[in-house]
Parts: sequence; structure tokens; C-alpha cells
Amino acid sequence: MTDRSKPKEILIDTRGQVCPSTLLVTLQHLNLQKNALRNGLVIIKIMTDHRHSTATIPNAVKNMGYDVLVTKQKGYYEILIGLPLPSQGLT
Amino acid sequence: MISGRFMLIEPTTLILIISLAIGLATGFVMHRSDYCVTGMFRDAIMFRTPSALRALCLQIAVTMILFELLRRAGALPFYPFPLIGKPSLANLVGGIVFGVGMVLAGGCVVGTLYKMGAGSITSLFALIGLIIGSGLYPEIHPGWAAFIKATTLADVVTLPQLLAINPGVMVAVVAVPAIVHFIRWRRQQAPADASVVTGYIEPWRAGLILALLSAISYILLGMPLGISTTYTKIAAIIENLFIPEHVSRVAYFKALPLNAFHRLLDTQLLGGAGPALDSIWDIQFPLILGITFGSTLSALMLGEFAIRCNIPGRQMLTALLGGAIMGLGSRLTPGCNIWHLMGGIPILAMQSLLFLVGLPIGTWIGGKILFRLLAAQTTCSVKQGA
Repeated sequence: MTDRSKPKEILIDTRGQVCPSTLLVTLQHLNLQKNALRNGLVIIKIMTDHRHSTATIPNAVKNMGYDVLVTKQKGYYEILIGLPLPSQGLT
Repeated sequence: MISGRFMLIEPTTLILIISLAIGLATGFVMHRSDYCVTGMFRDAIMFRTPSALRALCLQIAVTMILFELLRRAGALPFYPFPLIGKPSLANLVGGIVFGVGMVLAGGCVVGTLYKMGAGSITSLFALIGLIIGSGLYPEIHPGWAAFIKATTLADVVTLPQLLAINPGVMVAVVAVPAIVHFIRWRRQQAPADASVVTGYIEPWRAGLILALLSAISYILLGMPLGISTTYTKIAAIIENLFIPEHVSRVAYFKALPLNAFHRLLDTQLLGGAGPALDSIWDIQFPLILGITFGSTLSALMLGEFAIRCNIPGRQMLTALLGGAIMGLGSRLTPGCNIWHLMGGIPILAMQSLLFLVGLPIGTWIGGKILFRLLAAQTTCSVKQGA
């Protein structure tokens, strides 16, 4: 059994980038990491300053069956995607 | 006379103050709501998620009714408003070009401003591109003017004029079902989770505020929100510093398409795209400043103002190129999406309707190009951690 307490974290930092790179890059990595995500080996952490992404990304990934958590950080928003999201990710 | 009350302040100063105030409110609301018209069209067409576009449809429908009520009350200084002309195929082609540009730039002529106001460097590049593209148009204007003349489709401005029917009837037929449809759709939606986005204004509320601001602009400034002529003017001012002989020869810079007496302000509005600081400058430039700094104010209040330079160079080039295409499109049309969607369509101007036909086509083309460009560079932004 894989150690689920420490899933590998993939960090996507699209702060300052043109729309809709946050959503596109996220979708691409969801696709690439599909199996690892579904087995809880990987979580995706997105750093974005696009306010609208905090709505579009959760809508898209919830439909795919993933857990998602959005939090406001200092000057940007953090979106965590996993299945399930490990408790230590819930800051 | 209402104008008598304003006599303490010179009309030009009054125009500058009103325009700046409307701009600040517009920029503030757009930042809070992330009211990106480009995103609305792009997401509806490329991702098939049209919910944000519904807010824009509501805004247009409400503006339609507001303008018609104001017209009937005799509160509109002009009808149709100045600078909106007869329909031609140029409006359609311009809409397509504009659509391609706005998607590549990551925001329209107004979206670029509110995003730049919040610190976006890519939007700054888009703005530079906008000024370049807007400055290129006058060079091809003589040929394009011939195309406009050859493809002019009607001798009147609005659809009710063409069909010789009361605008109120058409407005009711279009706007009322659109509003009813929106209310029904909203009722069917599951209640949304509370947004973590601080200071969020739901897009439909932002749309209603923008409809109101557009109506205020129409009454007080003589026309709805519009800024794109001033991008050409800024290009003309810069060119005039270096090549004044050339600027003085360009016919487009000599034309004065705005020439109307505004009774409420007791002043003659006179202006064009040339380097002079005329009425177009007075009306539009404070709006540009206002939208930018209204957004800066909103972002600072939320602690979200940030200038980030760690952006792939290719994205900056794409934004620059997109801005230039959009600037060119806004002159080919002529007019930008805000001008046509939030001003022209509410009075059922045929120019604006043709622009609206072209815009989704351009959005689709721009989306295809942008997605290919972004997909090729995703590895730049991803780091893997333990």
C-alpha cells in the first residue's frame, strides 16, 4: 500500500499569466496525472491571481469527481485538487 | 435650464470629472466581479460554459430598456448617439479581427485596462499592442474607407429605423424575454457555494451596475462607454512627437467625426482621432485612467495588487500581438466590444449587430491559436515538489 500521508505535490504557478492559462494548464495536468491523482499519490496545487479561476476550476474538476479546496493566500488564491485531499493540505 | 446649474464649472472640466468618475466605478466593479467580456465569449465558445455570458446578455437587455425609457422621457441628448454609423461589411470583418485579437491579448480594450490596473504585466503588453494596432489603421484607412462605402448595407443606423417601427416595440420583443429567461435560469441553478474570493460582486450584479453607468454616460457625456478612438489618438500624439509632417498628411487624423451640440452641458462636442486634445480626448481619456485606477483601488483594498514579472516571454509577445490585432480590429469595425455590446446593441444599431456576428467567429479562431500556444509552453510553469 502506498503511503498516502505524503502525496507528491505538483505546483502550478500561473500568477500573472494570460487567461485562461490557469484552467488549460490544470486540465492538462489532470489528464497527465489521472491515475496518480485517483490513487491519492499526487495532489495538484495551483497558485493563481485570476479571481475567476477560483470558480471555473472547481466547477470543472468537481464534475470529474475530484475534491477541491480554494483558499485565499497573501495576494493570490491557492487551489488544491486531489482524491481525497489529504488533511495536511487543508490549511 | 439644467445647463444653467452647471455654469459654475466649465463644460470641459465637467466632462473630465464625470468621465473619470464613471471610469473609476467601472474599473472597480469589473475588478471585483472579474467581468471579462473576452473570457465570457471564449469560455462559452471554447469550453461550452456560457454562464458568465448570461450576465452580459442580462446587462444588454437591461441597458436596452433603460435607453428606451430615457429616450421616451427625452433624457437622451442624441438618438442614435454620435460616432455610430451605417452598417457595412466592415463591421462584420472588424468584429472577426477584434475577436481574434482580444482572445490572444487575454482581455478586450476595457478588460486589458482593469487587469493592468491590478498589476498584470501581460495586459500592459496588450495595451502597448493596442496603441500600435490602433496607430497602424490610419495608414490603411483610405483603402478601407472605400470598402466601407462599397459594402454599406443601409442608409440608416438602427434596425427599428430600417423597418420603420417604433423602437419600443422591438426593445420589448428582445429585452423582456431575455430578462425573463435569465431569471428562470437563475432560479434553476443550485445555490452556489460561498465564494472565497473577497469583495466578490456576482457578474449579473456587475452587469446591472454597468448598465446604469452606461445610461449615466449616455445622458451626461452624450454617448455610452467607449474608449477605442483614444488609443488611435494616443498613437497620433506619440507619432506627432517624432514625425509631425507625416501626421499632418494623414487624412484620418484630420477628420472630425464627433460634431454635435450637447444641450445639457451647453457645449459643442467636437473631435476626431488626430493628436489634438479635443472632446473625444475629454470624454474617453479620463475613462481609460478611471477604469485602470478604479481597478487598482479595488485590488489594493483587497490586498491583491501584485506586479509579477515571471511570465513566459512568449505570453508577453502573444499579448502584444493580440493587442495590436484588437487595436486594428477596433478601427476596422469601427468601435470596440464595450461600445457595440453595451451601447450599440441596446439601441439595436445594425453596425453593432454585425460586429456581434463577427465576434464569436474571431473568438473561436483566436481560441484555437491561443490554446495551441499555451499548450506548447505549460512545462515552464510547473514545479514538482515532495
